[in-house]
Amino acid sequence: MFGEKIKRVEDPALLRGKGKYLDDIHLPGMLHAAFVRAPVAHATFSDIDSSAALAIDGVVAVYTLDDLRPHLTDTVMPVEQPSGALKLSASPSTLADGEVRYVGEPVACVIAESPYIAEDAAQLVFVDYSNLPVSADYLSALDDGAATAHSDFADNLVAGFTLAYGDTDDTFAGAAHVFRETLHQHKGLGHAIECRGVAAELNPRDHVLNVWSATQMAHRAQSILVQMLDLPEDRIRVVTPNVGGGFGPKFVFYQEEVVVPLAAMLLGRPVKWVEDRREHFTAATMERDQLWDMEVAVNADGRLLGVRGTMAHDHGAYTPYGVNLPYNAATNFLGPYELPSMSLDVKLALTNMTPVTPVRGAGRPQGTFAMERLMDRIARELGLDRVEVRRRNLIPAESMPYDTQIKTRDGATMTYDSGDYPAALDAALERGGYSDFAARQAAALAEGRYLGIGVANYVEGTGRGPFESAVVRIKPSGKIVIYTGATDQGQGLKTALAQVCAAQTGAAIEDIEVVTGDTGKVSLGLGAFASRQAVTAGSSVHVAALEVRNKALKVAAHLLEAAEEDLDIADGKISVRGVPDMSVTLGDVARAVQGMPGFSLPGGVDPGMEATANFSPPTLTYCNGVHVAEVEVDPGTGHVQVLNYVIVHDSGRLINPTIVEGQITGGATHGLGSALFERMIYDDQGQPQTTNFGEYLLPSAPEVPHFDMIHMESPTPLNPLGVKGAGEGGTIPVTSAIASAVDDALSPFGVVVRDLPIEPKRIVEMINQSS
Amino acid sequence: MRYEAPETLDAAIGLLAGQSGQVKVLAGGTDVLVQIHADMIEPDVIVDIKKIAEMREIADEDGAWRLGAAVTGKELMDNAAFNAAWPGVMDGVRLIGSVQVRGRATVGGNVCNASPAADSVPPMITSRAIATVIGPNGTREVPVQDIATGPGKTSLEAGEFVVSFKFPKRPARSGDAYLRFTPRTEMDIAVVGCAVNLTLDDAGICTDAIVSLGAVAARALIVEDAAKALIGTPVDEAAMDALAAAASAAATPIDDKRGTVEFRTEVAGVLAQRAAAIALERAKS
Repeated sequence: MFGEKIKRVEDPALLRGKGKYLDDIHLPGMLHAAFVRAPVAHATFSDIDSSAALAIDGVVAVYTLDDLRPHLTDTVMPVEQPSGALKLSASPSTLADGEVRYVGEPVACVIAESPYIAEDAAQLVFVDYSNLPVSADYLSALDDGAATAHSDFADNLVAGFTLAYGDTDDTFAGAAHVFRETLHQHKGLGHAIECRGVAAELNPRDHVLNVWSATQMAHRAQSILVQMLDLPEDRIRVVTPNVGGGFGPKFVFYQEEVVVPLAAMLLGRPVKWVEDRREHFTAATMERDQLWDMEVAVNADGRLLGVRGTMAHDHGAYTPYGVNLPYNAATNFLGPYELPSMSLDVKLALTNMTPVTPVRGAGRPQGTFAMERLMDRIARELGLDRVEVRRRNLIPAESMPYDTQIKTRDGATMTYDSGDYPAALDAALERGGYSDFAARQAAALAEGRYLGIGVANYVEGTGRGPFESAVVRIKPSGKIVIYTGATDQGQGLKTALAQVCAAQTGAAIEDIEVVTGDTGKVSLGLGAFASRQAVTAGSSVHVAALEVRNKALKVAAHLLEAAEEDLDIADGKISVRGVPDMSVTLGDVARAVQGMPGFSLPGGVDPGMEATANFSPPTLTYCNGVHVAEVEVDPGTGHVQVLNYVIVHDSGRLINPTIVEGQITGGATHGLGSALFERMIYDDQGQPQTTNFGEYLLPSAPEVPHFDMIHMESPTPLNPLGVKGAGEGGTIPVTSAIASAVDDALSPFGVVVRDLPIEPKRIVEMINQSS
Repeated sequence: MRYEAPETLDAAIGLLAGQSGQVKVLAGGTDVLVQIHADMIEPDVIVDIKKIAEMREIADEDGAWRLGAAVTGKELMDNAAFNAAWPGVMDGVRLIGSVQVRGRATVGGNVCNASPAADSVPPMITSRAIATVIGPNGTREVPVQDIATGPGKTSLEAGEFVVSFKFPKRPARSGDAYLRFTPRTEMDIAVVGCAVNLTLDDAGICTDAIVSLGAVAARALIVEDAAKALIGTPVDEAAMDALAAAASAAATPIDDKRGTVEFRTEVAGVLAQRAAAIALERAKS
């Protein structure tokens, strides 16, 4: 069962329209919320006039921060994550507190009998804004005297850190060659097909505040609500319905997620809010810009000696999710290469734009892009093949486990646990037809067609701890249920966890129910981030299922009067080896330990057929991969067509290759958007210019190539399943591979890509500049 | 907001003439409904002209096609004879929206919505189609290039609407083509569009040409110099170079998120050459 390409158990319901998403929640008497949002990037306000809105028939309430203040332990959202790099505390306010700092920031909330009335009324709430200078350019935002994004801060440097090891000064002084690259990187939004949403009701029978949220983190949402509303845990239950994609922005606790539950409490009626796409473009977090200014020192053979430089990061207006994104970018810059010294100075600038938090890849695409662009530069300067430069610098397979000199967020050494990077590169080059590409390229050029090939490597730390929860229970009915704090956004998590459980219990997949992201079912949980749930929740299910299996065997041995070691567990039953008629079902053993008044339990075991595990991985496990992109560029229009795309990836043992292929395909598609299409544009006053899918271009079906995949499986020793994460790897090297391929295609013009996304107008501009 | 769906031209004229306040003619609705949802317009009356039979006809009148203004893109795509006669017009129609959108959207609507980037407009202009406009003061004929006057603005008077388009007879050895540039293949708004319609004599010399550019000015342009670059030539490399230069010279685009002035200007020339090459092939076949 483990490792099999079984069909996803989630899909039949979803494909038939039977999914139950947030907006499918309809409760008697339900009210609807709409948010009044800042129309300007930076302004103060004192008065909010709600009278016109309240005069509309069907409007029940209009809440401002002053209305909510008495019911909150603190109006500032307790979302900050600890980091020594933080220099300013910039957590958002529940509703704007006299100052708005990005277009889309919630200022007031209208509650009405229908969403239409609520939205109409929200337009009638009058807020008297006085504009303030806007911090809309993250680079100049760090200059002395720049307009500050928060009027009460002296500057915009919200955080800064230096990632350094080795002696870069000495290294650069003695290096054969030093090259410098300046890279403007842009990365956009997650754009889950389902926007955000939250619904809540205070159940009058048990006084539990039930909250449904399209979130990646049910338990953390509960914990924050407990803190803000000052209610005990048992009075707040957060449940995730079907969630239509997460990709990072739903691993943030938002203002709406406390305002809506609080409104439901104050009004004694259920309240629902569903974000529309235009709101999502400004009110949900995103990624945006980084400027990497890097120097690399190499010896005469192109071996890396050291890298030094700076990176500036547009952090947006607040810090709802720590500083992980630029930190990941910095630590994952290394990739699969041996790098003796490094010094990277990172600065995070506050701007009056939507807060920046991780989106699929979470900074690693940017770090990888910086390293891979340097690799191509070294090759070009030294007249070496791009692959040869990489090969000379790859960490050999025999060096595994490989201690890098980089420290992770928690201070531990970053150690690559397993993998064969040179073999992955070879496999990708062979499948991508690298060796005969030059001939194909020359033949195409003779016809006036510009083909190029690009190669990029990556390494990604996955399976971040500290733990994930799982309860595995065999019920007297013979069915199995798994409860976990992990959350399902459509990845196939339920299928994967059922497969892990089935491998130990011998139960049929259809007899295993998986309940995810419900704080009413399991007390602990962290949720979906950092490509972690197969590693953490998968291992917890494995450990718990193993414990249940062993107990079932012990009880069965008693019932069958046989030795445990003579028993087989398969097909939902336990039988004596060689005597298939002598068997008991999983239901039989569960019933035997559910207890009968006055009778002792068989074999003296504890009651119940259930186990709990909260597997804590000792550290991150590192997946790796290689992408080979072949493109054709039209120099007349700058259009880039991907002709062939090969992905070799190694995420350890695969629980279900179909699910992993889906993750890689979706991930690579996200990467293609970052490489060629997606740009979130703001003007110099912090006004967003791309707030619909006509203006913000996602890759659509004709643009997405078939991704030709090769699975490598280097098991990790860091968890009992040997699995690594696979949710983000597909995204990470795409910008690098495409940029390299575009360079190669346009090598007759001497074009070098240094900005993302690689837009047609920029390609034509670069061709004109070079010729 | 009142919705009316008259079944005769006279009824529609009567409804449109008698209104005060904002009146909007609705055909496929793929622009009007979007504009209403985006709060760009708030009509008092909507007059749906889809139920008027003669506005839904595609007729071959002895080689001169007449196209009802409320014919959908999909209906036009399904008409093989029209496709054979005006492949360049159909290049544009096929690029309007998506399959679903083309099921509703009409060429008449594309022309009257007056977007400078409308995909069917440059090839409609180069086809030299004449719009029949009807209104309270009777009927008049207006060349397609004179319908739009600027973004969202038309020369139609109050109460007037387009009933149909009349195409000239196709000469022998003629062909048309339309190309546009968008970052993606589908569902994008043209960054630049270019239509070319040309006729050859039996020696292969171009005797007539008309070139129209979209999305590089406030409305689709006719580029006289581009046509002159082709006429009298065998549409060889020199003519193509002159064509590109003329197209680029005529472009007066704006900078926006879809493209810069420089990019649009350059691509206008590139697309003119490529559209001319396709039109040439079609004229020869």
